[in-house]
Amino acid sequence: MNAFIIFVLLLGLMLTGMPISISLGLTVLTFLFTMTNVPLESVALKLFTGIEKFEIMAIPFFILAGNFLTHGGVAKRMIRFATAMVGHWYGGLGLGGVLACALFAAVSGSSPATVVAIGSILLPAMVKAGFPPRFGAGVITTSGALGILIPPSIVMVMYSVATNTSVGALFMAGVVPGILLAFFLGVTTWYRAWKNDYPRQPKASMAERFKAFKDAFWGLMLIVVVMGGIYTGLFTPTEAAAMSAVYAFIIAVFVYKDMTIASIPKILLNSANMSAMLLYIITNAVLFSFVMTNEQIPQALADIIVNSGLGVIGFLLAVNIILLVAGNFMEPSSIVLIFAPIMFPIAIKLGIDPVHFGILMVVNMEVGMCHPPVGLNLYVASGITKMGITELTVAVWPWLLTMLVFLVLVTYWPALSLALPRYLGMI
Amino acid sequence: MLSKVFDHLEEALITFLMGAATLIIFVAVVHRYLSGFDIPVVQDFVLSINMAWAQELCIIMFVWMAKFGAAYGVRTGIHVGVDVLINKLSTPWRNKFIVFGLLAGALFTAVVGTLGATFVWDNGAHYAFYSWFGGNMDGLYEGPTTPDLEWRTWTVYSAIPLGSYLMCTRFLQVAVQFIKTGELPHHDHGHVDGLDDEDTAEVK
Amino acid sequence: QQPIVIKFSHVVAQDTPKGLAAEFFAKRAGELTKGKVKVEVYANSTLYKDKEEVEALQVGAVQMLAPSLAKFGPLGAKEFEVFDLPYIFDDYKDLHAVTQGKVGQELMAKLEPRGIKGLAFWDNGFKVFSANNPMKKPEDLKGKKFRIQSSKVLEEQMRTLGALPQALAFSEVYQALQTGVVDGQENPYSNIYTQKMHEVQSHITETNHGYLGYAVIVNKKFWDGLPADVRGQLEQAMKEATDYANSIAKKKNDEDKKAIIASGKTQVYVPTAAERLAFKKALVPVHKKMESRIGADIIKQVYDATGFDPSKL
Ligand code: NA
Ligand code: NA
Repeated sequence: MNAFIIFVLLLGLMLTGMPISISLGLTVLTFLFTMTNVPLESVALKLFTGIEKFEIMAIPFFILAGNFLTHGGVAKRMIRFATAMVGHWYGGLGLGGVLACALFAAVSGSSPATVVAIGSILLPAMVKAGFPPRFGAGVITTSGALGILIPPSIVMVMYSVATNTSVGALFMAGVVPGILLAFFLGVTTWYRAWKNDYPRQPKASMAERFKAFKDAFWGLMLIVVVMGGIYTGLFTPTEAAAMSAVYAFIIAVFVYKDMTIASIPKILLNSANMSAMLLYIITNAVLFSFVMTNEQIPQALADIIVNSGLGVIGFLLAVNIILLVAGNFMEPSSIVLIFAPIMFPIAIKLGIDPVHFGILMVVNMEVGMCHPPVGLNLYVASGITKMGITELTVAVWPWLLTMLVFLVLVTYWPALSLALPRYLGMI
Repeated sequence: MLSKVFDHLEEALITFLMGAATLIIFVAVVHRYLSGFDIPVVQDFVLSINMAWAQELCIIMFVWMAKFGAAYGVRTGIHVGVDVLINKLSTPWRNKFIVFGLLAGALFTAVVGTLGATFVWDNGAHYAFYSWFGGNMDGLYEGPTTPDLEWRTWTVYSAIPLGSYLMCTRFLQVAVQFIKTGELPHHDHGHVDGLDDEDTAEVK
Repeated sequence: QQPIVIKFSHVVAQDTPKGLAAEFFAKRAGELTKGKVKVEVYANSTLYKDKEEVEALQVGAVQMLAPSLAKFGPLGAKEFEVFDLPYIFDDYKDLHAVTQGKVGQELMAKLEPRGIKGLAFWDNGFKVFSANNPMKKPEDLKGKKFRIQSSKVLEEQMRTLGALPQALAFSEVYQALQTGVVDGQENPYSNIYTQKMHEVQSHITETNHGYLGYAVIVNKKFWDGLPADVRGQLEQAMKEATDYANSIAKKKNDEDKKAIIASGKTQVYVPTAAERLAFKKALVPVHKKMESRIGADIIKQVYDATGFDPSKL
């Protein structure tokens, strides 16, 4: 009963259009004032301690690093390198876009940031080269979603915060599925381009390819810094995030010289703005999940589901459906923070690996970002291309379908996610 | 005029916290890495520097950044909501919901600010103020400290009431502005400064 | 009639000695009060995390906790740092003379002005040193980087040995040892074994130089508000749970020591009486150095309870 009231209240408040963080917070307050005897001071305490965790601090660091990379010419060089490698195949710049998104995803923790970084440079270039705008928009909107599957990933940090799963293991678990999804999206791109005979780039010579690689080298090195650092244990994920921010800053200002010192405060401020928004959602979501735990709602739900005989296959199907539906209305961090604490105890009781479950949630979030009515990647792409959301929706569907097929694969083939972290001895 | 100065102070504070926290963690990591090299004298010197407080300070700085940044975020319209439904409504109805949302934000932050202020007061601020200004200290307790820096936690937790009240003020400001002009601050996720045709033309 | 609910929150797994003892207390409390009290145990920080639980208890958001003794220093009860002093207890007999005697009660009383009532001390165990070199004398630790729990007393302990203290989170220790961020660390056998530290350390010396333990605490207002008969029954349940907690903690340490030896990855060295005395002589000066911080009075009381006289060492 309490669970029902909580969820109806939350849904009602959210649909009025107020910020998700505020609807979460007001739900908690209403509940605490009327239905329970938890002292209100604990709310104040949780508002501070909810984000008082070093792991969470990876989020602002990754956002800052992402902004330095976007403004600092790293994205531009990655695109050139990617295009030099695969641009002569069918799909040309589009295929280059998939590869560039995958490369950028390996240094950035956010999907919309990946769409912005690659899309704002590549999409106009594609239109100029004679691609239909829809084709480019479809490629970049969906490939940008790789940003949260290929490590580093802010959404994985959120999942780790909500469930106490190791960030390092999650990052490693995202590598293989990330590469595979990039491949799937690439094949889709290639097929559509081949069928419609879209323009191809002249094949780059080895010298040109080497030059493009050399130019992009410092940006690509960041992959080594982040993943190598975490894997060897040189850094914790949070430290790796801070190191990548400093590294990206040095590359942008002193190596590529695409950014001036004078522009730094603005970038710091924008990063702080975005980070604060996410941290504010986290704070209120932590409060929300605290109230639920306090009322023993996830535990009760877990018992119901486990006793219902739904089984692993049925449960995972239900999880996918619920998350895809939620993806219609909310952005990923809120979804993960609200649903992970509820679904996680059930998954554990059913014997599902926490790391696999995390990857599954992340792939769901990727799909959700690319379809309307709410999809951050769509909004961003719409901002860049000035295309309407409806038109974009039509544009993304071939790739979206690919992602759904991939989702089924990730859901029912745990080894795809777990093999690498297991091989590295992380789980 | 005064409010402009205040706006700039707010921006300067969160900009500083973002940059400084990054530097602190960078230095702490480099320090730990250097201490792994077995160079006589140098190693002893490096190890004699205590950086154990770095994580704690970073966390405190980011929590402050988050609380004040959230207030700044109201001003820049970055807090996202589910507006699918209300966007389908007629403008007068939509406007009512928007004002309702802003006032709900103001209500929440005001309540939380007050809860936070009470908590900070009971958690050591009461003791501190009375011992500074000579009140009756019977039954008061000085409050806990943070483990590494040994700062009073109430000073650290003050971010909650200060940030929340500021955020409340921002919600009210935006509501008044919206009622007067019909304008809302809007954050454009697709916009990137400094990227223009010049960059796009380079990709061939 | 609705039962009185006691939320008992802790930050470790269910199958650790502390987790098991918490469940044991919950069961006995229900039985002894004939269902008048229901203890809900929340393991693994699901309700409150390490950093916030004590403050949550103070405001009454949770009724019962079993935090590590290191949590009370930051709370203002610096006297509790006496437990961090090296060689303050020679063995369990000394330890229990303090924790189960008058001194223990007086220490718990220091928490009352802070809204906390201390019910019992639960053991984790005595700490041993591990590193990648043999340690037969205090000089063997010189110049090495040792991971410690964040504590000013432990910092001084390592500096006194000429070693270099590095405070790291418990969860990071394994990786730090593996990658050489630190050379060694100190912990009871059970922590070493469960965190697999013995896989990345070649030597352990059973110095038993320091103590690691917990205190079970309740919100004072809540406790004083309970009916007297219920309080008595809960005290009985706590007494049984404490015996249970201490015996399984000891058993777990003994088992894990055997498992570490059996793994063959670490050489476990038990120092001779003379070697142990050398460690003790090297470390006892820490008591004096920390006197101004912890309080000379409490150190003296512990000496009296255990019969220790540093001047006769
Ligand atoms: Na990424
Ligand atoms: Na969506």
